[in-house]
Amino acid sequence: MLDVRGLTVTLPTETVGITALDGISFDVKPGEVLGIVGESGAGKSIAGAAIIDLLVPPLKRTAGAITLAGERIDHLDAQAMRKVRGRRIGYVFQDPMTSLNPVLTVGRQLIDTMRAHLDITRGMARRKAAEWLDRVGLPNPRETLARYPHELSGGMRQRVVIALALCADPVLLIADEPTTALDVSVQAHILQLLRDLHEESGISMILITHDLGVVSKMADRVAVFYAGRVAEISTVTELFEDPRHPYAEGLLQATPRPSLTGRGHVIQQIPGVMPALGKIPGGCAFHPRCSRASEACRTRVPELREEGGRSYSCFHPIGGKAQ
Amino acid sequence: MTAPDLLVIDDLSKIFKRPRSLADRLSGRPASGVRAVSHVDLTIRRGETLGLVGESGCGKSTLARTIAGLIAPTEGSLRFVSSQATGRPPRVQMIFQDPYSSLNGRWKIADIVAEPIRIHRLRSGKADIRRRVDELLEHVGLSSSDAQKYPHEFSGGQRQRISIARALAGEPEFLILDEPTSALDLSVQAQILNLLRSLQDELHLTSLFITHNLAVVQVMADRIGVMYLGQVVELAGRKEIFAAPRHPYTRLLIDAAPGMDVHDRSLHPIAGDLPNPAAPPSGCRFHTRCPFATELCRTSEPPQTVAPGGGIYRCHFDLDLSHLPDTGLPADHRHPAVAR
Repeated sequence: MLDVRGLTVTLPTETVGITALDGISFDVKPGEVLGIVGESGAGKSIAGAAIIDLLVPPLKRTAGAITLAGERIDHLDAQAMRKVRGRRIGYVFQDPMTSLNPVLTVGRQLIDTMRAHLDITRGMARRKAAEWLDRVGLPNPRETLARYPHELSGGMRQRVVIALALCADPVLLIADEPTTALDVSVQAHILQLLRDLHEESGISMILITHDLGVVSKMADRVAVFYAGRVAEISTVTELFEDPRHPYAEGLLQATPRPSLTGRGHVIQQIPGVMPALGKIPGGCAFHPRCSRASEACRTRVPELREEGGRSYSCFHPIGGKAQ
Repeated sequence: MTAPDLLVIDDLSKIFKRPRSLADRLSGRPASGVRAVSHVDLTIRRGETLGLVGESGCGKSTLARTIAGLIAPTEGSLRFVSSQATGRPPRVQMIFQDPYSSLNGRWKIADIVAEPIRIHRLRSGKADIRRRVDELLEHVGLSSSDAQKYPHEFSGGQRQRISIARALAGEPEFLILDEPTSALDLSVQAQILNLLRSLQDELHLTSLFITHNLAVVQVMADRIGVMYLGQVVELAGRKEIFAAPRHPYTRLLIDAAPGMDVHDRSLHPIAGDLPNPAAPPSGCRFHTRCPFATELCRTSEPPQTVAPGGGIYRCHFDLDLSHLPDTGLPADHRHPAVAR
């Protein structure tokens, strides 16, 4: 459904360009949920924004091909891109308060969105807007249409944002940390809603999150990002039970798990921190934090290679074939 | 053998009053307010880590700030018990969630860490204080050369280490940690949790550890309290609370957090939304979301009951909650009441 090849995003400075995304490649199959995980600075949100051409300046897409349902969308002009954004790709941002317009009612935002993308009358849009509020689980849809975002709780706002992202019937939904700002009990509702809507419509989905728990429940395949590169792409089961990339394994072990831990149990930690933009070490970006690093890792960048349906970029993968 | 108490909290409440509107004053209505902490009884024993979990608005941070003396309680009392050895009340230090706003950006690290030493007159003489600062920085995994830098030169995880060094500089017997790792990335969180745990063991600190993350509290705490809308609805040992919770909210909260099991992909949302803390439901505060609620729960507030294991809980019933009950969420669970 979506194919991203060699996507590169640069932050231009007066002297040089700092690479924020370094030629990443991944794809999303029809009806699939692809999880993108990594810590802050890994480039997950930049990847999402780059796909819909909504990078915050001065970040700039400098290379790469993005193909949506067989059609290149990376060289479209602003007007053509507006017809992709919202119409063919829906987007859910992390913060439900800032992604809604505070001075317009929920109904107005839904109706405007649908009328911008679909050829329907105001009356029809109004009816569909109420249907959408019902589908995303908001009580009294007709009354809620007249409400403003501030009158809704955080969880309900995120439901509205999801309705807005899906109301023009897109083929791909990108959800960037959709539950991070929410409490645990509300988070489970929103995940359940995304799952229900995904099952009903068969839409392809990219779920960007730092939360491995969320990924384990929602994703079919997972791309692990590190310092602007893809470390590993595997099915969710492969990743959780048999990770190849040492960073992927480190992330899994650093997560405190209720079933395994107790006081006295030492959590495995990854030493060091994710390098800042512009300070990414040469060779494999993870080598200063990696216990398996060798001379090769310090000097050469490992390419993302495929092996048995999964891919990883590591010279010394865990349990796999060395490059 | 139970350790002696360090802190005894008795029927503590904190009400944030709203200013009376003109209409209120004209009609003689009293000021309304939010009871952010409601009738909390709690003791913290010397040497233990008490974990406090709950969702936003449950009052856990307000309770922490009240204990730290940053805000005054409205009702009830809290009392620090002087240690027999020194005869003085324990020194308290606090570590905050946000490693950016909790350090003064215009101060050098050396001054930030030295401040509690100076205030409590724990060392005298510049050279002594400097030596102590270097020692503390190394203790938390930084280096003594960092003392001359400013906070903006450090990452979030390193800043949290500075916060920890500052707290330890006050030689606290009691440490309050309010979401100390919530703003940190996973790999850094693991580093900070491991550091805190080794410090707790090494310095025999008593601490109150506040978090919304059940997995984190399970790693860090000896006993765990669960808060809901200002009340401590359950308090028990770490093992008991996870193996056999007594309050339905505890059970549902444990199951609502997505685990890491890729084979069991079921999700367990808690029905409904969090009610407005300014107008908590009548009777048991959890009855609007509880799958076991009866008429009794709607009308009468459950008493604080002592469990056989010594834990306490606020529920009318003695439920077996060792496993997630098959609640068969009502068909309208996707239609929570509108929170106003």
